[in-house]
Amino acid sequence: MSKPRVAIFDFACCEGCQLQIVNIEEEIIDLVGAVDVVEWREAMSEQSHEYDIAIIEGSITRPEDEHRVQIIRTRAKILIALGACATIGGVNKMKNNFDLNEVKRCVYGQDAGMPHLATTTTRAVHEVVDVDYKIHGCPIEGEEFKRIIRDLLLGKTPFVPNYPVCVECKERENVCRYEYNEICLGPIIRAGCGAPCPTAQWRCFGCRGLVDNPNVDAAQEVMEQYNLTLDDLKQKMVLFNSK
Amino acid sequence: MCECCVSNEKDIYLPQPATITKRRMLNGTELFLHLELDGGKELEYMPGQFVEVSLAGIGEAPISISSSPTQKGLELVIRNVGTLTRAIHKLQVGDKLGVRGPYGSTYPVEQAKGKDLVFICGGIGLVPQRSFIRYVLDHRDSYGKVTVLIGTKCFEMRLFREELAMWEERRDMRVMETIDEAHDCWSGNVGVVTTLIPKIEKDLPGSLVSICGPPVMYKFVLMALAEVDVPQDSTFVNLERKMKCGVGKCGHCQINQYYVCQEGPVFRYSDLAHVPEAI
Amino acid sequence: MSVSTVSKDQFKQFVEALIRSDQRVVGVQQRNDRFVFDDLATADALRLDYDVTILSPRKYILPQKEPLLQFAAGESYTPVHEGAPMVLLGVHPYDMASINQMDQLFSQDEYDSHYMNRRQHITVIACDVVTPSENVFAASMGTATVEKGYDMLLTDIGDAYVVQAATDKGKALTNLMPQARPASEADLDKCRAVQEQNQQKLNQHVLECKPSYLPKLLEKNYEHPVWEEKARLCYSCGSCNQVCPTCYCFDVQDEVNWDLKSGTRYRAWDGCLLEDFATVAGDHNFRKNRSDRFRHRLYRKGKYVPGKIDGQIACVGCGRCITACTSNIANPVDVYNQLMKRTDIG
Repeated sequence: MSKPRVAIFDFACCEGCQLQIVNIEEEIIDLVGAVDVVEWREAMSEQSHEYDIAIIEGSITRPEDEHRVQIIRTRAKILIALGACATIGGVNKMKNNFDLNEVKRCVYGQDAGMPHLATTTTRAVHEVVDVDYKIHGCPIEGEEFKRIIRDLLLGKTPFVPNYPVCVECKERENVCRYEYNEICLGPIIRAGCGAPCPTAQWRCFGCRGLVDNPNVDAAQEVMEQYNLTLDDLKQKMVLFNSK
Repeated sequence: MCECCVSNEKDIYLPQPATITKRRMLNGTELFLHLELDGGKELEYMPGQFVEVSLAGIGEAPISISSSPTQKGLELVIRNVGTLTRAIHKLQVGDKLGVRGPYGSTYPVEQAKGKDLVFICGGIGLVPQRSFIRYVLDHRDSYGKVTVLIGTKCFEMRLFREELAMWEERRDMRVMETIDEAHDCWSGNVGVVTTLIPKIEKDLPGSLVSICGPPVMYKFVLMALAEVDVPQDSTFVNLERKMKCGVGKCGHCQINQYYVCQEGPVFRYSDLAHVPEAI
Repeated sequence: MSVSTVSKDQFKQFVEALIRSDQRVVGVQQRNDRFVFDDLATADALRLDYDVTILSPRKYILPQKEPLLQFAAGESYTPVHEGAPMVLLGVHPYDMASINQMDQLFSQDEYDSHYMNRRQHITVIACDVVTPSENVFAASMGTATVEKGYDMLLTDIGDAYVVQAATDKGKALTNLMPQARPASEADLDKCRAVQEQNQQKLNQHVLECKPSYLPKLLEKNYEHPVWEEKARLCYSCGSCNQVCPTCYCFDVQDEVNWDLKSGTRYRAWDGCLLEDFATVAGDHNFRKNRSDRFRHRLYRKGKYVPGKIDGQIACVGCGRCITACTSNIANPVDVYNQLMKRTDIG
């Protein structure tokens, strides 16, 4: 059987998730032993229109992005969204909280009207085309990336947690940030990261997006128990989880 | 490995390799497999029990045994619903998979002796019941009248068609089939399996009734049986849960106080009637 | 049982000797403003005056993720047994009680050689509680003191420890305490006094019935408003499961190597509060509602597991779930007492 051909594309993002792939270092050899990487702008110069698996990093923010990702979708058998920008829109969606023209003026000043600076509402990849698998995180975890790729090569649906970060945070013996009356998004955000932020005594920033069925109804009452408000919580959601 | 591990050679999580000796699709989603354990071993099981089927790298899932211990080898029917079963569907004759078990409770083959038997099967509920039915047919003199009711969603989904045709020809058993949705090639009963119950109503009260089907079916069948006063202690059900370890440890298959992998999957209905999460 | 007394200085020398020995030594240490079990580098780091650890010593006895089998091409599986000698130093009586329960659960019916092998390589040095934690209710559960399971039990009597070596492994360790002297009557009195006090003191939440009533109490209250009232705020985050010393449910997952043939089958902690815990193939969830899962946990602790282990209640009163629950709904005593208010248990 020939090796599956993989192409990696980037859209609006910092390319940090691709860097995480580069960072798997010696296992890159294993990766390219198991698949044929046919296009990967960050690591090689070749390009190809023939691929089985497309990995998309970044969110869709420009009219031409939408067209490009649709073409990729028609060519790929499997399409994977890589990293928060692609899976949930991530920080790029903060833009959606403002009037689009104001955003353009603010960023590009008097050039805002130039055609190549055209911008649209930010969308996650699945809001534009069908996505088969998501590799969450900002940035992604190298270990999880490797496991998911191996699972897909084996024909296995990769395990993606549908439980909150608290599970992994407790496993690492962290004290809940709420015990210090600090807001943490952990109770409603999808796990899989291993809770590095609370372990470093930060809150969970929410980069993996909400679990399938977050208990949003509980939020107000729980915030009040810690002398916090729902608005405080919503504010913390803006960074990665704007609409 | 240290001394105390060697002294425990039985590892409850260790699958035994088995080889696929026959395979065929029963319909669009159900794969029939005949397996033989490597090394000529036979699995000692009874009707109603299940095995954990394993594919290295992909995982394990509980699968009902469809063959009878009166025959050689192990027969399973595997529906293509998840990542493991999808992979199993790709296997061919000669390929290997891992098997652990048998696990769980058995159908009341001893207690049923001398009694009239009614099997009510919905969809793939026929799969484990087939084990019991074949066992009974292989010990035909020990049992009374045998009635098998089978309901299938649609014509294309019918399982074990040739075998059912053979059963229908036998004079020592009665088979009644229905499909939920009418079909041009089907001249038999149309309707859910409960619509067959009035046809055998007078035989029900004295019979031992064994039911297996999708979760939604139990409620309606049990209601219909209650109307004709079938005692709960002569009714048996076979429940599906997420039996992950199969050995009563992992907690996934628990319904209230019961571990389905140990106390079940076959339960006497009178033991479950007051167990809220069961039916 | 041999009972001796060692001064705290002598005990420190014992711990140093233990660390120098060829087995792994895990003990209670301070981390930020809490305590945890961790590998012990020096005797000074050991804090036997701790109140409670964030996670119980379960993490060493049933690790968060442990290999069960290695596999290779052709459905060839080899069991993996982890069993390097280890000393667990500073296990509180309630945690000892939970370990005793797990020992029974993993050895009875189907013998789990992975668990048992590891367990047999662990030497437990328990210690009576010096500082009650803010949420402990072990006294309500009958686990403020413990009589079995440990290899050695330490009781702090001020300037010394009373040391009870209960097993051969425990007695062998006393060889590392050459200065220990037989405990005097006065020492034993002090030791008993500490234990008697703990049976009163470790009770920040008071269960208003005997723990042995719980199965009966629960039997009558399957449909009770408290389940929905509490679970309304439940995030299904499983924190209560994670920190619980008696939770032992697990998931099994395969991880494959780059050759896509060989790899490892692991088991990892799972929790019945998590949304997908009881979901079967085809996506049917047998405990779909938060309240179903919330109730299941308290039934497991108070009725279902006791049914498997001769009536022992599978809540040992450590209070960790109370501290860990962000929504403040996990307190078993609070739930059980609410049931008590509206139930005639006869």
